[in-house]
Amino acid sequence: MLPGVLALLVVLQAPWAWAGDEERKLEAVFIGRFASYIEWPAKPRERFVITLLDDNPFGTLLDDLYRDKRIHNKPIELRYATRLEQVGETDALFITLTSASARAAAIQHAQRNGILTISEAKGFAESGGIIQLDFVEQKARIKINHAAAVKSGLRIGAPLLSIATVLRGDKP
Amino acid sequence: MFDRISIRYKLIVLLGLSAALALLISSVITIYSIYLSESRASLRVLHQLTDVISENMRAALAFGDAQSASTMLASLRADAHVRLALVSDEAGQPLAEYRALGLPGALGDRLLADVQARMQDSADVLRRPGGSVEQTDNDFMGVLRPVFFEGAPIGVLAVVSDTGVMWAKIRELVLLQVATSVVTLVLLLFLSVKLQSLFTRPIMELVEAMEDVAQTKNYRAVLAAARRDEFGTLHGGFNAMLAEIRERDDLLSRLATTDALTGLANRRHAMDALQTMLARAQRKGDPVGIIMLDIDAFKAVNDRYGHPAGDRVIQEVARVLQANAREYDVVARLGGEEFLVACDGGTQEATVTMAERIRTGVEACRIQDSADTSLHVTVSLGVHSAVPQCAQEDIEQMIRAADQALYRAKEAGRNRYVVA
Repeated sequence: MLPGVLALLVVLQAPWAWAGDEERKLEAVFIGRFASYIEWPAKPRERFVITLLDDNPFGTLLDDLYRDKRIHNKPIELRYATRLEQVGETDALFITLTSASARAAAIQHAQRNGILTISEAKGFAESGGIIQLDFVEQKARIKINHAAAVKSGLRIGAPLLSIATVLRGDKP
Repeated sequence: MFDRISIRYKLIVLLGLSAALALLISSVITIYSIYLSESRASLRVLHQLTDVISENMRAALAFGDAQSASTMLASLRADAHVRLALVSDEAGQPLAEYRALGLPGALGDRLLADVQARMQDSADVLRRPGGSVEQTDNDFMGVLRPVFFEGAPIGVLAVVSDTGVMWAKIRELVLLQVATSVVTLVLLLFLSVKLQSLFTRPIMELVEAMEDVAQTKNYRAVLAAARRDEFGTLHGGFNAMLAEIRERDDLLSRLATTDALTGLANRRHAMDALQTMLARAQRKGDPVGIIMLDIDAFKAVNDRYGHPAGDRVIQEVARVLQANAREYDVVARLGGEEFLVACDGGTQEATVTMAERIRTGVEACRIQDSADTSLHVTVSLGVHSAVPQCAQEDIEQMIRAADQALYRAKEAGRNRYVVA
């Protein structure tokens, strides 16, 4: 009886698991693609740095994906940080922090240092994050806080804005 | 059939056919070149359209945003001729599709299937930067082009439009061309009717002249040959041919009417001339004098001095006759050593005077035979003069009368004249 129930659960959950993998892959791809539509203030770094703050849901996906790739004609460097203090100089910060206060602190840090913030946490854009990415029925939904981007000194390209839900101030 | 038609109509038909053929060829070339240029222009518009859309479509493809892609494609509604558009992601899966309002479902499905088949067939080309594929048939044309993100293809955009605009322009052009061709052809035919006379008039003049000569036998006709072209040469040749005929006729006439040895009229010509003279004299009531003349003892001259000397004697007598005759008299050698002189208006007195003058002229004549030998001959003459009553009968009577008088002169001892 129990093996049968387990097998049924596996069968029922398999599509969702598959959908999760696909979404994660897309999410990993999108991080780099967001960067293509954003201009940073000139920085003397030779590498484009993407930092993952807190848990890494991608496994080796990001490393596999961005190995030998370039963004803004710079080689990509991936860093993984568990605490905000570990985040050094970076261009993009993917935040997986579950605590709203920790996320707020990270956002504050990013705005001061001209860092693009990305997260899939609900209310991320409304709370000052720049790009909030989530998936509904396997379709990506992008929400951009344009004011936060301007505050961080970033310029977001019109094509990206044209396909996103854009918050101007605190309201979409 | 064609050889029965007059040359002027042949020329009109020829000019008309040439003009029609030239217009047809030029129209076909023009319409084909317009078709090519319109086809290229329509494809260029589609390329521009896909350029603009693909630029905007990049972000939607990059983030798999089907809704934004659909919204962008929906903007194609502004162009009523765009019938279908499709954007596919890098895996070939349709991201968004646009179908024009009013596009029948079956037709839309067929167009979509064609586009997708073309995407698969041209997958290699559609992964190259700058690569694009054109798809054309009679009713539709389309452009497929890849969309790149950071140097890598992330999808393909296809836009298909109908060829209505192109065919409408070509229809207008064909109508314009047909109308222009008809007007030009009518004008050319009108001109060819007018201009054909430039070519046919000289030929018709020649034909008329030939018919005239054939009918009247007047070989003295001369055709005006002031032209310097081939017709001038033709007219000149015709005139030269007539001149040759005239010369030949003159020669034949001379040979037929004169005596070869003396150059005097021969018997036949003398009879004709005498008949004319008598007819005129009969009409006017004038007299005609006839002198029949024979060289005395001519056979002895021939026998003694030979025939060449005899010929010289005959020639010398002929010279004396001509020297004493008037221009309008008829002097003829009838044969052998026998001569005839017909004096127009010759009374008996005048004819006798002329006969005596001839006799004394011949008598006084010394005919050189060799360096130290000369001949001298005499002639006997029979003279007759009368006003003719009936030309045909009087010829014979008058000649017979003069001949009998000649015979009597011979009988009377020669070197004298006897009046009939």
